[in-house]
Amino acid sequence: MQIKPILSALRRHKAGTFLIAMQIALTLAIVCNALFIIQQRLAHLAEPSGLDEPNIFVIQNEWVGASTPEQLDAKMREDLGVLRALPGVQDVTLSNSYPLRGGGWDDGVKLTADQVQDTTGATIYFADERFIDTLGLKLIAGRNFRAEEITPMNVRDRLGPPVVMVTKALADKLFPAGDAVGKTIYLVGGPTTIVGVVDLLQAQSVDRWAQSFAYRSVIVPKRLAISLGVFYIVRTQPGQLDAAMRAAPKALFAHNPRRVINDEDGVLSFKEVRAKAYERDRGMAILMGLICVTLLAITAAGIVGLTSFWVGQRRKQIGVRRALGATRQDILEYFLTENLLISCGGALFGVLLAVAINLWLVTRFELHRLSLVYLLMGVVILLLLGQGAVLAPAMRASRVSPVEATRSV
Amino acid sequence: MLKMTHLSKVYRTEVVETYALRDFNINVSEGEFVAVTGPSGSGKTTFLTIAGLLETFTGGQYHLDGVEVSNLNDNERSRIRNEKIGFIFQAFNLIPDLNVFDNVEVPLRYRGMKAPERKERIMNALERVGLASRSKHYPAELSGGQQQRVAIARALAGSPRLLLADEPTGNLDTQMARGVMELLEEIHREGATIVMVTHDPELAARAQRNVHIIDGQVVDLAEDPRFHQAVHAARANSPA
Ligand SMILES: Nc1ncnc2c1ncn2[C@@H]1O[C@H](COP(=O)(O)OP(=O)(O)OP(=O)(O)O)[C@@H](O)[C@H]1O
Ligand SMILES: [Mg+2]
Repeated sequence: MQIKPILSALRRHKAGTFLIAMQIALTLAIVCNALFIIQQRLAHLAEPSGLDEPNIFVIQNEWVGASTPEQLDAKMREDLGVLRALPGVQDVTLSNSYPLRGGGWDDGVKLTADQVQDTTGATIYFADERFIDTLGLKLIAGRNFRAEEITPMNVRDRLGPPVVMVTKALADKLFPAGDAVGKTIYLVGGPTTIVGVVDLLQAQSVDRWAQSFAYRSVIVPKRLAISLGVFYIVRTQPGQLDAAMRAAPKALFAHNPRRVINDEDGVLSFKEVRAKAYERDRGMAILMGLICVTLLAITAAGIVGLTSFWVGQRRKQIGVRRALGATRQDILEYFLTENLLISCGGALFGVLLAVAINLWLVTRFELHRLSLVYLLMGVVILLLLGQGAVLAPAMRASRVSPVEATRSV
Repeated sequence: MLKMTHLSKVYRTEVVETYALRDFNINVSEGEFVAVTGPSGSGKTTFLTIAGLLETFTGGQYHLDGVEVSNLNDNERSRIRNEKIGFIFQAFNLIPDLNVFDNVEVPLRYRGMKAPERKERIMNALERVGLASRSKHYPAELSGGQQQRVAIARALAGSPRLLLADEPTGNLDTQMARGVMELLEEIHREGATIVMVTHDPELAARAQRNVHIIDGQVVDLAEDPRFHQAVHAARANSPA
């Protein structure tokens, strides 16, 4: 290879070489970090909720007019019956919230009564005995609630259920030995006993504030008897979701019209819930992707431009090289090698820059440390981009005729 | 060494066809020193570019070292240029981005020669042209005569059997031209075949044989009155 003479020739074209190398460095630094952020967002997107998502939809129901808690509880139980009777419906439950909803109830969990600091935070899901079957959760230890354990709960009641179920993530956190069933834990309202452990149930929010307890959930045997914002969660037989979603609000209104189910988002399939929950993550990933593509395109254009300029400028010396015995292949390789050298220089600096940017992001936005894979990926992408961009002008250079050497200047 | 028979070269543009060479016949033997003269536009450079495999021709035959060159592909032509032919151009044609050493090295690298051999050949060639001490200089830092000597060193380093020179002294003053000519004669004495295009009748006279080209054809000097006119005109123009 003719690395040495190419390097010495480049030394005579410092400005162009430096500009392109810097452009490559900057692009590399940003692309590495952007790819990393994209990957993190996509990984976040891929976190499971634990639900049988394709067959689940939720209805947000609000009551109109004043009712006592007892009346509310009765009306909700009637609604559950109405929904359960719909064709294609497999199961129905009601809760104060559901995974990915964006908000709900979370609370501190302690292991002893006099503990000052919470052991962990946890999502509190209010549930009846149909909850785990409706959501499609897997009970991995202990038992489900019994129907008679479910009690109505008013806003002013204290949260003090005698029994609860917890997720495996929470059980592992509280009782690493794996013997959570039968143990007592302390919620804000007092002690309670764990009777069952479910495999997986995600928190009510995927935003940062809920990250610390993302899969640590407590399921309490309560029916929330308030007039605002109770959710009916419906699981349908496979393929029946759309039909059931259309039929459900009609049936509810037919049974009791004194209610509000928002036209827009009163009935949501879980697919819609998921899309909404991750709107920002997806937006961020797309934005980062666009930034990458734009930067790469600009850099490629820069390389094409500079190389084309150089090829034009060096027509004569290309002709001379051909006259002195260079084959077309030699000329092509010359420009490819030249680009590779510039790119390697740029990439080296770009890697340092990428790490610097990442460290800044880590301290500023609590991002994770950039892994080596992304640096490598960035380097490979930019080297390939460079070689690709230089190919067309280099081909043009290789077609310069040796007779060009004899043409007067 | 070099034999062209009924060779023709046509340059076609959209409007005209120019016969740069027509029914062109020449035979240069191994070890000859031939000077090519002729009026401007007569086809001298065209002849050299075809002889040096820089360009293809339209009709006829050209045997170089016994090989019919129209059958060669681009890579084979490159290899022959690299190994058998040395070029010296009127405009020197050094690569401005490379220093003297690297310039002389260019054809040797294309030959795939190992570094120690390259170095030895380069230093030998530069010593012969008297520029060994300038090997780190860039072309722009040298005089015209020095640049042409570097170009000769570059042609020499590969030990070509055929040296093609297109007005090698055209851009040089008499003093420098003489130096270059002496160098060529020395190279010739060592066995190289040289074909040199020149406008300078004095230099032409120092060659073993003169070939005169008019309108793309080799003409017999003694018979053609145009030659005498051309020589006359050239004498009148020449500063010497
Ligand atoms: N690339 C080309 N395209 C068209 N015509 C050309 C081309 N190169 C040369 N010619 C024509 O061919 C003829 C011979 O040109 P050539 O350069 O060989 O002349 P020359 O004898 O070297 O002249 P000079 O003494 O001025 O260098 C000229 O008429 C010229 O115009
Ligand atoms: Mg000419």
